[in-house]
Amino acid sequence: MAERPGLFTRWNQARRADGLALRRALPDRLLPLLVAAMAVLAALALAGATGAQILSARWSNGAASMLTIQVPDPETPTTTAGTTAHLTRSDAVLAALADSPGASRVHRLDKAELGALLAPWLGQDHDFALTLPAIIELHMATGTQADATALARRLNTIAPGTLIERNAEWGERLGRLADSLHSCALLAVAIVVGIAVVLIAATTRAGLAARRLPIELIHAMGATDGYIAGRFARRTALLAFIGGLAGSVLALPILVLLSRVAAPFAAATPTPTPASSADWTMLAHTLLATLPTPLVATLLALAPAAALIGWLTTQATVRAWLRNLP
Amino acid sequence: MIRLRDVGFRYDAAGASAASAPVALRQISFEVPQGGFRWLLGPSGAGKSSLLRLLALAARPTSGTLEILGSSVAQARRAALARLRRRIGVVHQDFRLLPDLPVFDNIALPLRLQHRPEDEVRDEVHSILDWVGLASRATARPPQLSGGEQQRVAIARAVIHRPALLLADEPTNALDEYQANRLMELFRDLSGLGTTILVATHNDALIRRYPAHELELAQGRLLRDG
Ligand SMILES: Nc1ncnc2c1ncn2[C@@H]1O[C@H](COP(=O)(O)OP(=O)(O)OP(=O)(O)O)[C@@H](O)[C@H]1O
Ligand SMILES: [Mg+2]
Repeated sequence: MAERPGLFTRWNQARRADGLALRRALPDRLLPLLVAAMAVLAALALAGATGAQILSARWSNGAASMLTIQVPDPETPTTTAGTTAHLTRSDAVLAALADSPGASRVHRLDKAELGALLAPWLGQDHDFALTLPAIIELHMATGTQADATALARRLNTIAPGTLIERNAEWGERLGRLADSLHSCALLAVAIVVGIAVVLIAATTRAGLAARRLPIELIHAMGATDGYIAGRFARRTALLAFIGGLAGSVLALPILVLLSRVAAPFAAATPTPTPASSADWTMLAHTLLATLPTPLVATLLALAPAAALIGWLTTQATVRAWLRNLP
Repeated sequence: MIRLRDVGFRYDAAGASAASAPVALRQISFEVPQGGFRWLLGPSGAGKSSLLRLLALAARPTSGTLEILGSSVAQARRAALARLRRRIGVVHQDFRLLPDLPVFDNIALPLRLQHRPEDEVRDEVHSILDWVGLASRATARPPQLSGGEQQRVAIARAVIHRPALLLADEPTNALDEYQANRLMELFRDLSGLGTTILVATHNDALIRRYPAHELELAQGRLLRDG
């Protein structure tokens, strides 16, 4: 029956009912496309931030708080004048390390451990003809910084020739690098958001200019600022959401690729090879499983975040514009 | 009811200094009770449209106080003004129909801004389309209509939501005598139902046929109230 229009017709009617014709004011081409591009950029930057954070956390905690100390000729007695008891050089160093502040664990590698350490160079079946230096691991309590140079000076007075290697140094450098990468990535995200706000505001203003007459008319008929701003804001939120969704779908393969490249550094979960299954949901699931959880959350948040930015920006822009009307 | 006290209005012309901006209205004071009808008379440029613009809350007075439907305009917040505007119907001198909306949707605007259910909107719009004799033109766009037809659409849009205040600026200038008479009957009915009505016109024959309280303007001043 033609008398009663279907739900879709009625919904469609209600959409153009107030004459704002938002589909013309804010066309559905350029904005979603640009938002999609920015969403990809944001996804990459956020991936960088996440990755940098993971690496930074790893590098600045693990090996950072350990020093390796080599004492050559470990079994030779110390020659220092002050010492009464005749300690071997290695025992003297061990004793000195035990009362150095901040040391949480002092461990001298035993023969088996040394063997394992040297196996790549000397082979498995070793019988050391030469005296190996004693290798001592000094673990520092978390939060304390070992002053390696002062320690080296002190140990050398006890057992000259003792070497200290700071495993921490590289870890710290990498950690600092990761931290600055993290800041850069966050800055990039902020810039992308800033550009998105400017772009959406400009698009909204163009839409307002294009629909000036109907806006003035319905304003004069008693449409509130909230109503008009809400109509525009829902439209840009929808377009931005579509753009954000497209952007996150586009970013997904890039991120999977990146996280596979980065996996050995982060030593995260083993990366399962996606089965050559035709099941797309399985494939998507497998792909998502290769990404670190924060990154998956980021990816899922992109479209809603884009929608929110679109909504807020348009609300502010339209309300400011309407202030010029009486 | 509406009440004006020493209302002055000046268009702020862009580029012109405040002193040289044209003064449209000076020291206008009058009252119209609820359900009252007023002719608004005066030569071209006297300020009739300007006065209706103030009453429609499309501009704020430069001086004086204005009270519309019991609310003082100067103190009203934006949301309150919007609420007041929804209780006002305006027939503009230049119609102001939206050219890209069908006649039906143009007329439905006030109801849809009140978020009335679509069923109700449809019934109301169809019955008023019948009344203005445009039932067959519901899907036409305003530019496809004659001047008189456009004016009837503008009238239908102004009254469809049964406004408490109806402002009509030359509402008969594109109508024939028969249509003009029917419009006057409508105004009489609405006034009887409590709608306050102001009609600006140059149509002397109509004023003679429907004598009523007159407000006469000249050069922005109110010459006569009676
Ligand atoms: N938008 C405007 N900007 C500046 N001046 C205006 C504007 N509209 C009207 N005026 C001036 O205000 C004065 C009053 O104009 P108004 O339109 O109120 O007259 P009117 O009585 O409605 O005339 P008409 O019978 O020709 O419609 C005129 O001098 C006019 O030039
Ligand atoms: Mg006029």
